[in-house]
Amino acid sequence: MTEQTRERTAGQGTPVATDSVAAALADVEGDGLAGYNYAYLDEHTKREVRRATLKAVAVPGHQVPYASRPMPLARGWGTGGIQASLSLLGPTDTFKVIDQGADESVNAANIRRLAADTADVATTTDTTEADIIQSRHRIPEEVLTDEQRLVLQVPITDPLRTVDPSDAANRRRHAHGNYGKMWVHLYESVVEYGEIDIAARYPTMVAGRYLMDPSPIPRWDVPKLDDSKHLTILAAGREARIYAVPPHTSVEPLAFEDRMFTVERFPGQACHACGSTDTYLVAVSEDSESGGTDDAEGAFETRHVCNDASFCAKRRENPDLPKDHHLDPSGVDWGPATPEADETGGDWV
Amino acid sequence: MRALGIDPVHDTRRTFDALLAAMSRPGTVHTAPSPADHAVIATLVDHEVTLATADGALQDALSGQGRFDPAGPADADVVHVRQHTDVDVRECKRGSLVEPSEGATLVYSVESITADDAGATTLGLSGPGVDGSTVLSVSLPGEALSALADAQSGYPRGVDAVFAAGDRLAAVPRSATVEGA
Repeated sequence: MTEQTRERTAGQGTPVATDSVAAALADVEGDGLAGYNYAYLDEHTKREVRRATLKAVAVPGHQVPYASRPMPLARGWGTGGIQASLSLLGPTDTFKVIDQGADESVNAANIRRLAADTADVATTTDTTEADIIQSRHRIPEEVLTDEQRLVLQVPITDPLRTVDPSDAANRRRHAHGNYGKMWVHLYESVVEYGEIDIAARYPTMVAGRYLMDPSPIPRWDVPKLDDSKHLTILAAGREARIYAVPPHTSVEPLAFEDRMFTVERFPGQACHACGSTDTYLVAVSEDSESGGTDDAEGAFETRHVCNDASFCAKRRENPDLPKDHHLDPSGVDWGPATPEADETGGDWV
Repeated sequence: MRALGIDPVHDTRRTFDALLAAMSRPGTVHTAPSPADHAVIATLVDHEVTLATADGALQDALSGQGRFDPAGPADADVVHVRQHTDVDVRECKRGSLVEPSEGATLVYSVESITADDAGATTLGLSGPGVDGSTVLSVSLPGEALSALADAQSGYPRGVDAVFAAGDRLAAVPRSATVEGA
């Protein structure tokens, strides 16, 4: 290394010349994944996860403790979801991984690669082709079918954590179905803000018995869990809990008669890429096309774009594609209305 | 579990797939490696949980791998019910209100299960996992299924039942509402 390059890279670490992660992995000495069991996990771990998953399904919404193993990525990055998915995946399955709506983010790509390398599964980015979908923070826009299983990664398992940090006290509350403290929390939110001010992790009642944290999905996605056709498994690696929502199970967001549950509103906005007005949009700040001065706010503009990247790509090819295009008969009730939203974005309840 | 003719990786994975489908959709019948009761126990049981079974082949296969922690039906996490008269399922563990998942899993060996009302005893099922209502017929006498209904009363405490017949299995989790038992 010349004096000049050393100077240039000071404070930036040593640059590694490589084409891709796959190329870097190919250079690593060793047996690779050859010594690992099918689907990476040993059978002892799979039995533990499988027992917990079955109990979670038998008691919908109850958080079942399990012995969460160290995974080849940090806890909090989807280790629970990986354990649930790898316990389930078989060689004939097709696997899709979503990270906040995108298939191509680093986290999703690495989880997908781990499954493809160790469990010999096919992978896809197309929601309708997947047998098992592992997701962080989103439920796909396209309607899931009864053949599909959704694994959601969960950072915080207990909705009551917001109102009481004590796990022991909260487990007693769940035992007795005592959710008064959460109702007070919602009431205080209404008093302060005029509506229930919870963006994600919206507290929902499962099968009329357990209050559940639906993971940090936006409110937009919560109604998709109600009376769904698919099984949802929610798995937390760091907190070592698994819970589940079986198909055809009531999932009711907590709300008041006069302060109803509402999903996000995007008044007057459409996805700038595909033009959708009936999908969950996120605001992105981009370089302004109209130019503008460097230091002024005019240098950037905020545009809205679909959060579900794979469905957005399909909509770009066919702007009229409904969310239930792959189903027969179509017209499945799934989340916020499929027809075009009205001008106010629709107070969908 | 090769002693039982069950592949420890892929047969147990297939069995779990069938168990998950059966448990999440009560009353539906799924195909698993045969015999399904052996496959279910090979999938779920190791030294972390206790097992009550009178099946010598299972006991030998599990203890050969250090996976057999025996217990009586009243204390076991997994209870193998080969003859319904052998086990009083009302005595089985039902978990606590704080941790209902400690309730036992009952694995019944039966002659036949069908997802219609043609069998010996027909259960009407509704609740989570069932779109409206459905029926499941099990070749067990009514008193065996009413004992199960008693063991499943008091939700969320209770037991979860898996019925295994040949290469077929079905489940009645405690969340199901059962009529006709």
